[in-house]
Amino acid sequence: MIPLVLVLYFVIVATISVWASRRTRTARDFFVAGDGIGIWTLAIAAMTATLTGFAFIGGPGLFYSLGLGAVFIVLPASLTNSMAAWVLAKRMRLLAELRGVITVPDAIGARYRSPTAQGLAAVAILIAIIGYMGTNLLALGIVVDAVFGTGFGWGVWLGTATVLAYSVSGGILAGVYTDLFQGSIKALASVLVFAYVLRLEGGVGGLSRVILAHDPAFLTPWGKLTPLAALSFFFVFGLGALGQPHVISKFYMLRNPLHLKWYPALTTGALMLTLLLYFGIGLAVKAEVAAGSLAPLLRADDATPQFLLHYTPVLLAGVVFAGVAAAIMGTVNAFMNVGAAAVVHDIPIALGVRVSNELYWGRVATVVLTAIAAVVARYSGSLVAFLGIFGWGLFASTLVPALAIGLNWPGATRAGAIASILTGLAVTLTFETAAYFKLYSFPAGVTVSGLSLVLSLLVFFAVSVLTRRQAADVDPDITLAMEV
Amino acid sequence: MAARRGLAPVIAGTLAVGLAYGSAFLPGGAPRWAPWSMVAGIALLCTGVMALGAARPGRRLGRMVWALVFTFIVLVVCFGLALVLPATEGRGSRLVLGLPLRAALVIYGIGWLPALVLPAVYARTFTQLTLDQADLDRIRAARRARAAP
Repeated sequence: MIPLVLVLYFVIVATISVWASRRTRTARDFFVAGDGIGIWTLAIAAMTATLTGFAFIGGPGLFYSLGLGAVFIVLPASLTNSMAAWVLAKRMRLLAELRGVITVPDAIGARYRSPTAQGLAAVAILIAIIGYMGTNLLALGIVVDAVFGTGFGWGVWLGTATVLAYSVSGGILAGVYTDLFQGSIKALASVLVFAYVLRLEGGVGGLSRVILAHDPAFLTPWGKLTPLAALSFFFVFGLGALGQPHVISKFYMLRNPLHLKWYPALTTGALMLTLLLYFGIGLAVKAEVAAGSLAPLLRADDATPQFLLHYTPVLLAGVVFAGVAAAIMGTVNAFMNVGAAAVVHDIPIALGVRVSNELYWGRVATVVLTAIAAVVARYSGSLVAFLGIFGWGLFASTLVPALAIGLNWPGATRAGAIASILTGLAVTLTFETAAYFKLYSFPAGVTVSGLSLVLSLLVFFAVSVLTRRQAADVDPDITLAMEV
Repeated sequence: MAARRGLAPVIAGTLAVGLAYGSAFLPGGAPRWAPWSMVAGIALLCTGVMALGAARPGRRLGRMVWALVFTFIVLVVCFGLALVLPATEGRGSRLVLGLPLRAALVIYGIGWLPALVLPAVYARTFTQLTLDQADLDRIRAARRARAAP
């Protein structure tokens, strides 16, 4: 039954991609869906790009191990879409209206009149997405292997081929409409799974009582973490959400900017429903293991599969596995698109070159980047996990100051933007590498991502103030987009 | 310069988070006030960033101010109570909506309350504060002017 559901799911994705490929005629169609999507599609696609397979597999597993502290990764979801709407959505959509920008580095280049800042932002994005895509393709390989028994290696190649097929043919147009389908499945599956959670031990209260009797620390506000470590998660994943290019670049795609009015409500609603699975399975599996109804897990990541196999009908388990595949594929597609745009659009602009046929070369770049990520996923061993770890932090520290703050603060300068991007790159790469090789580690509660974000923000403010004479060097139409 | 309205809290919040991280490097680890510094930093950053994005020259923030005050209070009060209330979690703990009190403050207070309030405030103030047809017309006129030879 589970393989059948997944095959059906892949057939629907293939149908959407054939439809989208017939409508992809220009680079603008390929990279920003021709500015032609509606608010529902934008909201669900943004949610799908935000939630990787981590929200379905790794997250509940982390909750099972760390208790409530693990929830601090997704806790800011109640705020982040509203924050992004106020600080980024309108400005980015208006920049698309004014300048026809199609990438996040494009916006940085236009804001500061700086191809250098645009190029550096593109390099940061490229470094981050290879690792991010690698970890997601690895997870996809595990899912394909678990469902079809292909073996891990073939699982990676089959999963990669599927997501590559629809991404190359239909670009982001195929991506966002596939996301609409995938996101709806994810939200529905999460709600249904949560309904099954509520049937156990008399609901959330009963589950809590079982846990409190065996492991009270699990349900303290910070779980097994220190308060500083849990709050650090909130800071990095809350503020860092404003710098995730695969999510925020979707603002360019909205057909009618006035419909942004409903963006926070729709995206936050979809996100909260989908995260019910994260919270519900983490809590339920811990309680059932404590009560002796379920054997202790050998690996924390088994929390979701074990819950599905023991407590839900097989059809729902199939839908959730399809939802996991959907989550991973939606994120990979968004990364492919952002990475290909960095290669064929942003970096050439920084070098003073214009690629003549961005649609064709965008497709080529998508294939090449995906192949590199798949090889990394398949053959690099523990390196892929290392590369995946710093993706979020690298996006946050290099893009939040220059973009999220810079589009709203007239005092920001080109030098400040460049210095902050360089700081984010240098701090993240240096300390993550040092941690990987066990040369140095931060004290408890301090993460490289958090520290890097703080330092890049401080550098951004300090250098902008020191070079404040540059602040007036902004094109009049950009000033208008910043003031409206 | 009106858009600088949220800048002071953003800078103060960044410094507070930096202070919390910096204190963890002290001999003996993070002091007791470090989580408080982090809470203050998070609350200032979240409200400051929203104010920075919403501020427009010549316009008041209006009802949006209440959303900022609400966000700041929810973050400080819920995280603050989770820090100061005694750890009474255990067999026989009193539950609030199925969770021990401190966990409920975090999950329902911070995880759900802003999700119910902020999108509603955004939608309600959108035309007055964020974007209307006249703004869009100005932008499109600027695009035409830029495209003209």
